[in-house]
Amino acid sequence: MSKKKKPVLTTLEREGKTLGLYMTLPAQLLLLFIVAFPLCMQVYVSLSWWGPLDGVKWYYAYESLNWFGNYGEIFDDSKFWGSLGRTFLIVAVVVPVEFLLGLGLAMLFADKFPGKRVFYSIMLMPMMIVPAVAGYMFFMLFQSSGPLNDILSAIAGTRVDTVWLADPDLAMVSVMIADIWQWTPLMFLILLAGMVGVPEDQIKAATLLGANAWHRFWRIVLPRMKTVMIIALVIRSVECFKIFDILYVMTGGGPGVATKSISVYILDLTFKDLEWSYVAAIGLFILVCLSLIAVVGIYYMQAAQKKAEA
Amino acid sequence: MASIELINLTKKFGDLIAVNDLNLVIPDKEFVALLGPSGCGKTTTMNMIAGIEMPSEGSILFGGEDMRTIPANKRDVGFVFQNYAIFTHMTVRKNLEFGLRVRGVEKSEIARRVQNMADLMRLNDRIDWRTSKLSVNELQKVAIGRSAVTEPEIFLLDEPLSNLDAAFRAFMRTELKHLQHEFQQTMVYVTHDQIEAMSLADRIAVMDLGLLQQYGTPNEVYNKPRNTFVANFMGSPSMNLLPCRLTNGGGDHALDFGDAGTSVIEDGELMRRCKLARNADVVFGMRPEDIDIQPREVGRPGIDMEVSFVEPIGPRTVVHLSAGGHSIKVAKDKQYPIELGAKVKAAFPKGRCHIFDAESGNAIGLE
Repeated sequence: MSKKKKPVLTTLEREGKTLGLYMTLPAQLLLLFIVAFPLCMQVYVSLSWWGPLDGVKWYYAYESLNWFGNYGEIFDDSKFWGSLGRTFLIVAVVVPVEFLLGLGLAMLFADKFPGKRVFYSIMLMPMMIVPAVAGYMFFMLFQSSGPLNDILSAIAGTRVDTVWLADPDLAMVSVMIADIWQWTPLMFLILLAGMVGVPEDQIKAATLLGANAWHRFWRIVLPRMKTVMIIALVIRSVECFKIFDILYVMTGGGPGVATKSISVYILDLTFKDLEWSYVAAIGLFILVCLSLIAVVGIYYMQAAQKKAEA
Repeated sequence: MASIELINLTKKFGDLIAVNDLNLVIPDKEFVALLGPSGCGKTTTMNMIAGIEMPSEGSILFGGEDMRTIPANKRDVGFVFQNYAIFTHMTVRKNLEFGLRVRGVEKSEIARRVQNMADLMRLNDRIDWRTSKLSVNELQKVAIGRSAVTEPEIFLLDEPLSNLDAAFRAFMRTELKHLQHEFQQTMVYVTHDQIEAMSLADRIAVMDLGLLQQYGTPNEVYNKPRNTFVANFMGSPSMNLLPCRLTNGGGDHALDFGDAGTSVIEDGELMRRCKLARNADVVFGMRPEDIDIQPREVGRPGIDMEVSFVEPIGPRTVVHLSAGGHSIKVAKDKQYPIELGAKVKAAFPKGRCHIFDAESGNAIGLE
C-alpha cells in the first residue's frame, strides 16, 4: 500500500501556515491584477475583430468573435515577418558582440590597475542614459554633416559624405552600434560580478599548479561563470528583442522599413492602423517566442548548476 | 638540488612590516617548520617563497638561483592551502590531473600518475566523485595529492592539518612524514601548533612579529630556547618563567624571588650563566616536567610553595603551585598523589634551568 499520508502538523506549524497565507494575500491579489487580468483581457480581445472605432466597449468584443482569425492573419503578414526577421538579426549581431566586449572588459576590470574606479564609473555611464537620449546622440553623430563624417574626412584626407541613416544597410549598422554602445556596460557589469565571485584561492592554487593566465581563465574562471553568462545572455536577448526607443529616435524604422523592428511595427499597427485585436494576437505570439528563449536559457542554466553541484 | 635561501627578506604592507629582514637557509630534502602565532609573518613568508606575493626587499634563491623574475606558475612548487582551495567544479580525478594537464603531459602518462597518486592517498573509491561531496579529511588528501602528483622538488604546506579532526590529524602527521621520505622533497610547513612542528620537522624556525626568533632542530629549540618568546611558545604546558633578581647572598649567587623567598644556586651550569648576566633583573625558567616536588625539609635549592590547583589531564597531572605572587605549573605522572593546599618545595632541576635577561628577554650565556 502506498497511500500517501498527510503530514501531521503541530499547532505551531498550522498557525504559521495560516499566517503565511494572510500575509501574502495582498501580494497575491496584486499579482492577479497586474499579470493575470491584462493577460486574460488580451487573450479575449485577440479572439475577435474588435477595434477602438467599433463604438462598443472592449468587453463586448464577443459580438465580433472570430476565434483564431487574427492568428491566421499573422502567418500571411509579410510585414510582420520582415520586422521579426530584422529584430532577430539585430539580436543575433548585437548580443554576441556585447557579450564578448563585456567579457573582455570584465577580465580587464577583474585585475587592479591605476584609475580603475574612474574608468569603472565611465564604463557604466551609457547604461544610465535614457535610451531616447542615447538615440538622439547617435542620430546627431551619424548625420552626413555630423562629427563622425568629419573625423572620417580628417583621416581619409578627402571629404566623406556617407549618409549613414539614409542608407538601408548603414542605418541598420548604425542602430546596432548605438545599441552595443548603450548595453555593453550591463553585460560587463553582470559578467564582472560573476568573475569576482570566482574564489581567489582557487586561482592562486591553479597558478601554483603551473597554470598560465589562459589555463586559469579556461579551466577555472569560465566553468564557474557559466550560470552568470547564461543569465546575462538571456536578459540581453529578451531586452534586445524589444529594441525600440534608441532605434525609433534614430531612424523611426526607416529608411523605408530597413530598420523597422517588431516594436516599431506594433506601434504602427496600434496608432496608425488601429488594429487592436490583431496587435493583441501579435503580442501573445511574441510572448510565446520570448518565453521559449527564456525556457531554453533556464534549462541550460539549471543543467550547468546541476553539473556544478552533482 | 632544491635548497631554499631567504636573504634579508622583508615584506611591508603599507606601514605594517609582516616579515622583517628574514635570513633562513632550508637545506635540500629537509622538512622545515615555520612556527609562530597568527600574524607572525609565517604565511607571508610562505607566499613569497611560492611567488604569489613579491618581497619588498631581499631575495629568494632556489638551489642558488634567484627567483625574483620567475612567476608563481613557473616555480614548480607544490602548495597546500589551509582551506585546500579544491576546484569544486571538478571531480577528484580532474583535480589530480590539473597540474599535469596544464603542463601538457601526455594522456597515458597523466592517467598512470594520477592512478598511482590515488592509490597512495587511498582515494581510489572516490576518484570520480564530485569534490563537493567529500569530507574535510578527503579534501585534505586531494589537496596534497593534487600538488604531489606533479612531483615538485619544493613542497609548501600552509597549516594543512588545522581544519581536521584530532584523530585524523595525528594520522596525517605520520602520513606526511612518510610522504616526505617517499618523494625526497624539500618541505616547508607553516603551523602554529608546536607539537606538529616538533614531531614533523627536521628544523624549526620560530617566528614572532615578523622576526625570526630561533632556527634549529626541535631539540635545540625546545632545550635551548634563545629567548623568553621561544621558551614560552614551545612546550605544553609552557615553560614557567619567573621574574627575579640576582643577588650576592653570602658570597655566592642567589635568586631573589621577592615574597616567595630566596634560593641559592648550586647548579654549576646555571652559575656560569648567571655570572654572565649584565643586569640583576633576570627571568628564571623551568620546564613543568623538569621540576621536582619535594618536602620542604629537603635541602635542595628551590622555592617554598603551596599547591593551589590540581589538573588531572589524562596521561599526566598538572600541579599548580603558588607563593608570593609567583605561580608555576608542574607536570607529573597520572594520579600523582598530592593534596590541595599542601606545603611543598619546588626544587630546581639540575642542569635544566634557563636564565634570561629581563629587559631584552634573550637567554644569558647560551652556548
